[in-house]
Amino acid sequence: MTDLELILQTIINSLIFSSFNALFAVGLVLIFGIMQVVNFAHGAIYMVGAFSTWYLYSENGVPFFVAIILSTLLCAALGLFMERVLFRPMRGNLFGGLIVSVGMLFILEVLSVYLFGQGLMKNITPYFRESWHVFGIESITVAHSRLLVFAVATFILGGFWLFMTRTRLGWAMKACAQNPEAAALQGISIGKISMLAMVISAAMAGAGGAVMAPLVRITPHMGSPVLITAFIIMIVGGMGSIEGALIAAFAYSFFHTFVTTYIGGEIATILGLVLMLMFLIVKPTGLMGERESV
Amino acid sequence: MFSRAGRNSAGIAVLLAVVCILPFIVRPYQLDFLIFMFINIILVVSYRLIAITGEFSLSHAVIMGVGGYASALLTLHLPISAWISMPLGGVAAALIAYILSFPLFRMKGFYFLIGSFAAAEAIRLCWVQFINPFGGYRGLRQIPVLEIDLGDFLYIDLGAPVPYYFFALIVGLIFLVIMYRIEHSRFGFVFHAVHHKDMLAQSVGVNARRYRTIAFVTGGFFAGIAGAMVAHYITAINPGLFGLKQMLFILVWVLVGGLGSFAGPILGVVVLSIIDESIRGLNELRPAFYGLILIITMLFLPDGLVSLPDKVMQGVNWLRKREDGDAPNRE
Amino acid sequence: MKSNMTRRNFLAGTGGVAAGITALGATPSKVFAGENTVKIGFLAALTGDAAGWGLPGLYGVEIWAEQVNAAGGIEMGGDKYRVEIISYDDEFDAIKATVGAKKLIFEDEVSIVLMLGITPVQAVKDFMTRNKMIVTTLVPTDISADAPYLFALSEVHPFYNVTAVDWIGRNMPNIKTAAIATQNDELGLSSQATYRAAFEVAGIEVIEENLFGFEVTDFAPVVSKLIAANPDVITWDTAYPDYVNLLTEQAYLQGYKGTIVNCTLDQYEHILGKTSKDFMEGFLWQFPDLDDPIMQGGDTHFDNAAAFYKTYSERYPGAWTAVSWEYAASLEMWKTAVGKAGTFDPPTVSDALRGLSPVPHAFGDAEWWGESFFGINSAALGKWPVVQMQNGKAVIVEMGDVRAWMDKHGDVLIKHFKALGVPTSA
Repeated sequence: MTDLELILQTIINSLIFSSFNALFAVGLVLIFGIMQVVNFAHGAIYMVGAFSTWYLYSENGVPFFVAIILSTLLCAALGLFMERVLFRPMRGNLFGGLIVSVGMLFILEVLSVYLFGQGLMKNITPYFRESWHVFGIESITVAHSRLLVFAVATFILGGFWLFMTRTRLGWAMKACAQNPEAAALQGISIGKISMLAMVISAAMAGAGGAVMAPLVRITPHMGSPVLITAFIIMIVGGMGSIEGALIAAFAYSFFHTFVTTYIGGEIATILGLVLMLMFLIVKPTGLMGERESV
Repeated sequence: MFSRAGRNSAGIAVLLAVVCILPFIVRPYQLDFLIFMFINIILVVSYRLIAITGEFSLSHAVIMGVGGYASALLTLHLPISAWISMPLGGVAAALIAYILSFPLFRMKGFYFLIGSFAAAEAIRLCWVQFINPFGGYRGLRQIPVLEIDLGDFLYIDLGAPVPYYFFALIVGLIFLVIMYRIEHSRFGFVFHAVHHKDMLAQSVGVNARRYRTIAFVTGGFFAGIAGAMVAHYITAINPGLFGLKQMLFILVWVLVGGLGSFAGPILGVVVLSIIDESIRGLNELRPAFYGLILIITMLFLPDGLVSLPDKVMQGVNWLRKREDGDAPNRE
Repeated sequence: MKSNMTRRNFLAGTGGVAAGITALGATPSKVFAGENTVKIGFLAALTGDAAGWGLPGLYGVEIWAEQVNAAGGIEMGGDKYRVEIISYDDEFDAIKATVGAKKLIFEDEVSIVLMLGITPVQAVKDFMTRNKMIVTTLVPTDISADAPYLFALSEVHPFYNVTAVDWIGRNMPNIKTAAIATQNDELGLSSQATYRAAFEVAGIEVIEENLFGFEVTDFAPVVSKLIAANPDVITWDTAYPDYVNLLTEQAYLQGYKGTIVNCTLDQYEHILGKTSKDFMEGFLWQFPDLDDPIMQGGDTHFDNAAAFYKTYSERYPGAWTAVSWEYAASLEMWKTAVGKAGTFDPPTVSDALRGLSPVPHAFGDAEWWGESFFGINSAALGKWPVVQMQNGKAVIVEMGDVRAWMDKHGDVLIKHFKALGVPTSA
């Protein structure tokens, strides 16, 4: 493998990592924007998506794509439940929302231990066994199951973008995120919008978990490192800014992947934290953020 | 008014008596449990001191660790008694808090929350990375314990549970009194003010950032001493003690107890710790039960456990009123 | 008015401590009335990130206790004693471990405490020594001369990792270069030092190394860089079993053609399913199947290894890991010492343990070792299998002699330990 080939391979690795991080972080940002809730259980929803894909596909032989769709729906339902029962009574109580989401995180993690046991990771034999040799170059490869992550993430984010820009409901959602009081005066039902936002957000995390399931360790605590990365992305992008989150997801993923490849994984994380801190010192409200929360 | 004050002093006297008798009736491991509970009380009350200025930090656990590491390293490498190194640990923690305050207080709200987490995590990863002097992932061991050594006259090894219990109790009480006084001083008044009315406080000439820094540094000092108290009791310290999990628990204790009053966080530590310890038989299912309690408390007592008596009184009053209201109809 | 109210609430709250504390002790423990019972403490993580290293071990220890009890219990001084396991979740936390150690020793009066190792062991080490309690660790680098009751009975990681590399050096002379990737923690670093030393002794040059943190979600970049260096052999050291699964899959997907040598290959049928039989052929690691015919032979010392494995996999499907049997294997050795000592008294049993020669390790006869590294002989070191993937099945190709390697090349390993900051007293 030549140097140039390694660079190309790393760019491809970065792109795939970026697409997942963007999908995951946008869901988190959406909830914060609309409901002012920092959802610590977002990673746990991702975990549920992965577990249910494993359970349906590997354990019960449900076709892979059906398993992905069912897992996404399950997570959407979970999101609906969380909005109605947990977050709605906590509206306007930023830290109340945080605490109930931490409670939910504990419950979901234990539930997965209780149902499926604590041992090694749950294993999925990938549905796609092939790799694609990029531009026909023998030494640059990308597995088809990774391409699926990229495709699904792009599809969902693209659909979400169309929804936000082209539909009435999407405009209403945007209005809610920008100024809830004004939106309420316009006759927009904040309750309904919150519910929809939470369903979309949970479905994003769930779909992310479902397509990532064959690639990562499926364990009860698999959500925490992903969540921490997403917090960094959310902050750098600017709280509640979806465009910011997208840009930050790509910037962070490229940075992290390149440093991991050329220097080392642990150093990539420390440098990532330090850079974020330095960035915030220069621009304390993030890339796209103008509003100071709380 | 007089009788209420009287009742209060009587209550405090009874409580003190109970707390003094406890070490002689509970089992040894329960004594350890109580010691760590006292240390955690110092931790949450010092956290509240910062939180009342309106900014929630996620660096408190690591600041606590700074105190622990500083004090441990001083006693391990220099001929310094733990009596001297512990306050120095507090000073080191305050110093680090002061340095951090420059970048961090440029941020606000959630940016501050995550910014403080990142800064703290960077410090914690340094403890992992630099094996000399911090001992890496494994941490430090054989940290000297506190001793009272007056020659032939008196010798107390504070490494033993009962003496350390009283040490933690006394230090804890003194700190509580100090922090209570701070909150009810002019400083404390301003702390509250910068929370509620940032702009207004600014306009009457109060530098909000300066007061936040003062609160952050003062809270850091007490947390640092709490860290040193842990280090010199278990005689070991490692980066894992000050991770995100510990920080999350501080936040949970404070908010579930009730941020609104001085007693709230204390109540949070006491109640949640006891619940957590008494459900240990559940083994791997324990966190779920704990999570359920968090959710139920927040849903029904959004102001924290401390508001429970008020809620109960409201309920009773509501029932009583309804009965009174019903009474004429029945006649 | 307001402050009075809060102060009263405060009193009401703290007054409840006494009531709560007394409730603490009331947790019922299983008591076998009218029978002699010996209690065994299990102090490791049952919840949280480290639960994977504790909970499967607790399952194993409970099955071991059942098997022993079904056979009538442990014999000591002519009486039969039932075994009772008492667990305390230390959450891999130094403070919880301190509280748990006191509970197990003073409250439950256990005769031995099984622990995972590293930070919780560091925290309770001195306390355990003062109370003369036998503690077992799965991480031998915990051992030190000031802790005479701390033993590494079954697991002598990372020392045994030298055997597979040694085998490569003798049997695969065309291998000249190696690459290492592992997670940056004590397990990974001590293993990295061991592989470095073993490669050096075998005349293989390490040309690429990559350390990653725990937050890694995607292993593609780690593997890309390793493969780009074109090594003849790759090792994931003692990366966590899950990482081994994902790293190996990445090596397959990215077209790696060389050999892989590693500490573990848990649930290799999964990895076979993700890669191919051809790709996995010749993979070397250190852990045989517990139902391997050699494990049932006369040279090994783990009673009912096959039955244990069968019960375990039936009751906890998918939960089998190396720690599933390692805590139990420690108890197996402790049981032998108890038989010798004729008492459960920990210091006496500890003396009896030290007096065992040979030490009946699960993988065959061992001897006490460790003086040159830790200043005390508290690890049971002997032979350790070299396992190779042959036609989709784990085959023991050799019982490597760890001890002989250490006697000959111990100084090389100490050099690499020091370079990476792994604790030794040497």
